[in-house]
Amino acid sequence: MWKSLYSLFKKDCRITASGKFFLVTLGSLLLYTLFIHFGYLNFMADNTDTCRVYLYDPAETLGQVSPLIHSVASMEELDEALARDTSGGVGICITDNEPNVVLYAGTEKFDRCRTDYALSLLHPGSEYIPETVGDNSPEMKQRKEITCELLFIEVVAIGFLGIASVLFKEKQMGVIRVHAVMPFPKNLFIFSKIFLFLLTDLIFAALITLFNVGPAEAGSILPAILIQTVILSLIMILTGFGCAMLLKDFKQFSLLYLVISLFTTVPVFLSANPAIKTDWILYHPFFHVYTKLKNAFFGIPVTSPVYYICATCIIFLLFGITTAAFRKEMGKEG
Amino acid sequence: MIEVKNLTFSYMKDKQALHGLNFTVEDGEIFGFLGPNGSGKSTTQKILTGILKAHGGRVSLFGKDLRNTHTQDFFRKIGVLFEFPYLYANLSALDNLHYFSSFYPKEQLRDAEELLDELEFKKDFRRKPVSSYSKGMRQRVSMARALISNPKLLFLDEPTSGLDPTGAVLFRRIIEKERRKGTTIFITTHNMLDADLLCDRVAFISNGNIVALDTPRNLKEQNSNHSIIIDYLYQGRHEEQTIEAAELKSGIPFPYDELIRVHSQEPTLEDIFIRYTGRRLP
Repeated sequence: MWKSLYSLFKKDCRITASGKFFLVTLGSLLLYTLFIHFGYLNFMADNTDTCRVYLYDPAETLGQVSPLIHSVASMEELDEALARDTSGGVGICITDNEPNVVLYAGTEKFDRCRTDYALSLLHPGSEYIPETVGDNSPEMKQRKEITCELLFIEVVAIGFLGIASVLFKEKQMGVIRVHAVMPFPKNLFIFSKIFLFLLTDLIFAALITLFNVGPAEAGSILPAILIQTVILSLIMILTGFGCAMLLKDFKQFSLLYLVISLFTTVPVFLSANPAIKTDWILYHPFFHVYTKLKNAFFGIPVTSPVYYICATCIIFLLFGITTAAFRKEMGKEG
Repeated sequence: MIEVKNLTFSYMKDKQALHGLNFTVEDGEIFGFLGPNGSGKSTTQKILTGILKAHGGRVSLFGKDLRNTHTQDFFRKIGVLFEFPYLYANLSALDNLHYFSSFYPKEQLRDAEELLDELEFKKDFRRKPVSSYSKGMRQRVSMARALISNPKLLFLDEPTSGLDPTGAVLFRRIIEKERRKGTTIFITTHNMLDADLLCDRVAFISNGNIVALDTPRNLKEQNSNHSIIIDYLYQGRHEEQTIEAAELKSGIPFPYDELIRVHSQEPTLEDIFIRYTGRRLP
C-alpha cells in the first residue's frame, strides 16, 4: 500500500509541478511577505490612530488631557471631523462640565470600547484606565493580523484551486478510469492528493508565519497555527476535489470558485471593519475557522471540543461525498 | 474463466441496461462481445472488470463470485485496454509504463522496453511526452500498459481502433500470441474483421440481451442459404446461375464451356450481426 501511495504521490507532484503550481505558490509567498514588510506595516505606521478622539470644550473646563486627543473649535468642526474619520473616531463635547460622547454607531460592543477609550483619554490616570490585552506591540499585532488574513485567503485558494487543476487535467486525459482497474485501494488516489496539497498548505503556513511574525514569536504559536491550517486546508481540498469531480470543466469550476472564495473569505473582510453589525456571522461556518486561526496567531488556546467535533464531522462528510463522486467518475464512459 | 448467469444491471430504476445475460468464457479462449452503441457491451465489461458494482445475477471470474473478488489480487490478474488511449500526456511512454506498472509486484512485470519493441514503437519517441504522439502510437502504449503486468485475463475494448492496417495486423498477431501463452481474452468491438479473424466464439448483444452466441464459423453456416453463384461461358455467351450447394454433389448441373468464377453465398459476420440486431454497425 505504501509503495502505491508513493507512486501516486510522486506522479501528483510531477503533474502539479508541470502546471507551475508550486512556482505560483512560492511567488504568492514572496509577494505577501514583501507587501507586509514594505507596504502594510509602513502604511499602518503612518495611520497609527486606530480610534481618533476629537474634543470640543468651549468653556475649556478640562485641565490636562491626553496628547492623543485632537481638539476642535466648534461643534460643526467636530461633526465634520467625525464624518471624515475612517478610524472609528469618537467625539466628546463638554457641556455643563459633563462629557457627552458623539459617534457614528457600529456594533454595541465596539461602541462601548470606543467610548471607554475616549473617556480614558480625558482623565489620564483616573477612573478610566483601559486594560491592556496581550503583550503584543502594535507592530506585532498588525503583523499577526495581516499574516493571519493572508494565510486564510491563500489556504482557501491553494487547496481548492490546486487540487482542481490537477484533477481536471487527469479527467481530460481520461486516466482516472485507468486507476479503476489498478491493484490498489481506490481511496489512495484521493489520499495522495490530499497529502500533497495539505503538505503545501502547511509549508506555506510555516514559511509565511516565520517570514512575517519572526522566528522568535513563531516558535511558540506555530504548532497551533498548523493545527488550524490542517482543518481549513482539509475542508478546502475535499471541497475542491468533490467540485472537480462533479463539474464538467475548469470554466464552470472557476465560476464556482468566485462564489466559494467570496463565501469563505467574508469573515476576513468583515473582521477588518468592526463598525458593521454582524450578529449573523456566528452562523457562518468559516467565521469559526477564521477566528480559531486568529486565536492561534495571538496565542489564545483553542480548546472547544464542539469546534473540533464539528470540524471532524464536516471533514468526514466531505470525504464521503468526494469518494462517491470519484467512484462515479471512474465508471463514466469515455 | 468467466461465468455469467442471469446478469442484470440498471443505471436507474427505470433504465435497465442488461436483461439477464448468460455466457461463459473458457480458459485461453478469445471471446468476442459485439453490439451496437448503447447495447450494453460496455456495461458488461465494466461489471466484469469491477468498475460497476450492484449488479444482479451471478458473475464469477477465476472461479470466484465477482462480489467477493474485487480484491487487489483480482486486479493484479487482469489487464484492460480501454477504447480510448488514456495516458498521462505530460509523461513519456516509458514514464507512463513505469508509473502504471509500479502498482504490480515486480516479479509479475514484463520489461517495458521489450514490450514497446514488440509493439514496434519508435525508439526515438519513447522518452518524449505522449502529447507529441499520433493516435496509433498512443494506442500502442495503451496496449503495452494492458500487457505489462502479464495478465491472465485481458479485456480489450476496440483494440485496433485508431491503427493503420499494418498496426491492426500487428495487434492481431500480439493478441494471438497472448492466447498461445494461455491468456483468456475478452474483446469488445465493432470491428467484424477482428472478431472473425481472432475470436473463438462471439456473442451478439442487442438492447441488453444476447441474441446469438457461437463460433463465427457456425454462425455463418447457420445463417447461410447454402447457395452458390457460378459465372461461366457457354456457346460464346457469359452467363450466371445460382444453385443450391447440394446440387454440386453430382457435378455442375448445367451445360457450360468454361467456368469463370464460383462464389459461395456465405454471409459475412456483419450480415449476421445486422440480421440479429436489426442495426448496422457504425
